[in-house]
Amino acid sequence: MLAPEPGAVSGDTVRVAAILERRADPSEVARSEYRIRLHLDHLQRLISYGDRVDRFAVLSAGGDAADSVLKSVNQAAFGFRAYPSREIAVETSKTFLVVSRFHRAIGVITIVASATFLLCIMLLKVDERRRDVAAMRLMGISRSTVIRSVMVESSAIALVGSVFGVGLGFIVSAFVNSHYQAVYQTPLRFAVITPGTVVFSVVLSLLLGIGAGALAARRLARTPPLALFGR
Amino acid sequence: MTTPLISAHEVHRDYPLSGSAVHAVRGVSLDVMPGEYVAIVGPSGCGKSTLLNLLGAIDRPTTGSITIDGTAVSALPDRDATKFRLMSVGFVFQRFYLLPVLTARENVELPMAEAKVSVADRRARARELLGYVGLAERSEHRPSELSGGEQQRVAIARALANRPTVLLADEPTGELDAKTGSDVIALFDRLNRDGMTILVVTHDEKLAGAARRVVHMLDGRVVRDEPLLRRA
Amino acid sequence: MRLQLAILSLRRHVSRTLLAMLGVTVSAAMLLDMVMLATGMRESFSSLLGRNGFTIRVSPRGTLPFDSEATIARAGDAIAQMKAVAGVTAVAPVLGTTIHALGSAEPVTAFALGIDPAVQGDYELLSGAEPAAGDALVASDALLRATSKAVGDTLDVAIGFDPQLRTYAGRRRLVISGRARFLYLSETDRAAAMQLATVQAMGGTQRADRASLFMVRTAPNVDPEQARAAIERALPRVTALSTAGAVAEAEKRLSYFRQLAFILGAVSLGVGFLLVTTIVTVSVNERIGEIAVMRAIGVSRLHIVQQIVIEGIGLSLAGAVSGLLLGLVTARYLNSILSAFPGLPDAIDFFLFQPSAAFRALGLLVASGIAAGVYPSWRAASLPISTTLREEAVG
Repeated sequence: MLAPEPGAVSGDTVRVAAILERRADPSEVARSEYRIRLHLDHLQRLISYGDRVDRFAVLSAGGDAADSVLKSVNQAAFGFRAYPSREIAVETSKTFLVVSRFHRAIGVITIVASATFLLCIMLLKVDERRRDVAAMRLMGISRSTVIRSVMVESSAIALVGSVFGVGLGFIVSAFVNSHYQAVYQTPLRFAVITPGTVVFSVVLSLLLGIGAGALAARRLARTPPLALFGR
Repeated sequence: MTTPLISAHEVHRDYPLSGSAVHAVRGVSLDVMPGEYVAIVGPSGCGKSTLLNLLGAIDRPTTGSITIDGTAVSALPDRDATKFRLMSVGFVFQRFYLLPVLTARENVELPMAEAKVSVADRRARARELLGYVGLAERSEHRPSELSGGEQQRVAIARALANRPTVLLADEPTGELDAKTGSDVIALFDRLNRDGMTILVVTHDEKLAGAARRVVHMLDGRVVRDEPLLRRA
Repeated sequence: MRLQLAILSLRRHVSRTLLAMLGVTVSAAMLLDMVMLATGMRESFSSLLGRNGFTIRVSPRGTLPFDSEATIARAGDAIAQMKAVAGVTAVAPVLGTTIHALGSAEPVTAFALGIDPAVQGDYELLSGAEPAAGDALVASDALLRATSKAVGDTLDVAIGFDPQLRTYAGRRRLVISGRARFLYLSETDRAAAMQLATVQAMGGTQRADRASLFMVRTAPNVDPEQARAAIERALPRVTALSTAGAVAEAEKRLSYFRQLAFILGAVSLGVGFLLVTTIVTVSVNERIGEIAVMRAIGVSRLHIVQQIVIEGIGLSLAGAVSGLLLGLVTARYLNSILSAFPGLPDAIDFFLFQPSAAFRALGLLVASGIAAGVYPSWRAASLPISTTLREEAVG
């Protein structure tokens, strides 16, 4: 039974013809109101709206046809204003633009934190090899060979770490999507990993890892071998 | 008859190694009187350093007993053994083992700080000890700024910080040249004349010759124990 | 001397220590920001709702205040029934609508509130007077700028627009009696407030005796929850929300940020802990020989652990203090991003600094510095002395 107001006398009786799944629409996230769809004339009758609607959605052949339809409607009809869907989308997307900026800012901070951590760990890792490096130098192995060998190791660690990191990222994003899809009852995907994201993260972590390894290796190779032994 | 300061009785120390055991010390019995200067000599691997570690409560015997100044050190729990090492034993190592971040004075003060001696008192004692070992003017230098001989002398000063009952030294001249080694030997001699009971483990004939008694070890056992006839 | 040794050990590898401190700083800043985010929304929203002492909001059944265009009919009756509920001291009706300010080339659209000036809680008067008469209104600075008007000027307003005939319904000429700051709107929103009866009259039959919302004040010794339940029982056609309930609803809508705050906060704490643990562990491993020497000369295990734990605390504490400063700066920046949410009241802050919560979180980071040092140092201090001395060269 439907009524136009809560507590009012019952009105029309309807049969539930279908149950609709939520669309992947960000604006519907976190909204918990119930939604029903009726035939237009039925709803108009139910809420005594008369022969009125809030808006029309117009399907055109697209491209130039959309522009000419827009022009015709705006010229012909009194008091109507036709907008391209794109404009409406921009207006209603302001919330998501804010969220997007916020995510980007958090992303930058996270990258800075991760980069610092990565630099620190790589420096430590290479520093741990000081005695091995000292022994190699004492044996007569050249600085450049030492640097190369330490860098091969740090690059390998950076590469393996990046690969694992990408894998972990996919797992975490799958978890994030399944969690929020369940929480908000929506098919919307909250975390999307694009090829660009993967390339960016791998390149950045490789640069940082290899760079840190190179820095530390150069420092070690420049230190006199006996000093590396603590003498 | 005076009671021995150090009394080791049937001391054994075994180390497990791939299913079997290495018998580093086998049934050593040894008495050291107060004021004695004893050198323990023997080939590498004969167990002399292990014996010294046992006497210094750095290690525990597998069987047997060790008593130092009335304290059964072989039976001490870790906390008491630590306290014992702090207050009753002065240990000098072959490689000096000074803390590189501290100055000579601070290295000497370290055991006194642990023994809760006041800052003023430990500073004064550190200066006194560094003066005794001839390094008064080097007290604010870090180990990296000192020669090997100087570092060893600082290590000796550190070992004397809490007025120990006995001074144990493991190859104290092992890393030193002949000249600096002689300085250290002279220092030990002076300490003993001033009443300190000293046990040294050494390969150095000169150092062994400076002692009043030599204990020879071989394969974990004492094979000979004889006083040295020396000039007074 | 433990403190001195700890400081000297940290200074031994300056670049490593500084880098580690930087890492902890960024982690601490992130942790602080997430704590501020988790508590900020709730606290600032709660404080906004609790302003002027209104503890209950009443809206059409099944809706949240101004969530839809639904209104409550027979507003007069509803007020009387609510006032009869034990503990209710005042009921402030609010009717929201869109008005068009006419006179310039293009009408200026604004949000209007019909209120009872004697008991309203929607705005703070900045200058001028309340709209005591039926032909007065107070306007926001944004509306005054858009219409080029000032206090004392008149404004032609209308409530309905018929697009077919391009005519305005419910036209009135009103005097701008004052300037106001609307608490639940942003500074850029064009808004006006006038007498409830004026808005109802302008709205014709559609708005006669209607209200969008009632704000209810309860006596200090009354439990708002009880009053809320009593209101819902007396008026089945409404939904009554206490401040706590409203905050909970808002939190549900913004639960994404709270969860994000929790996850990122936990990750920051974990990263900070890992960093300190790694630094301390590597530092201890490098000094195993020194530690064995200290044990050999009689320094107790406990004191060695204390010295190393002090190093961990030093790193975490230095990072936490500088992280606090950095966190406040980044929080301001992040808050400025989120404050751009359309329709968000200016009074709402997403990031609110609450000393107790912040210090608890940073305290957790420092505590993790303690935990980071305990295991590696205890392990190192427990190694057999003679074997360790033999294997490690020191000095």
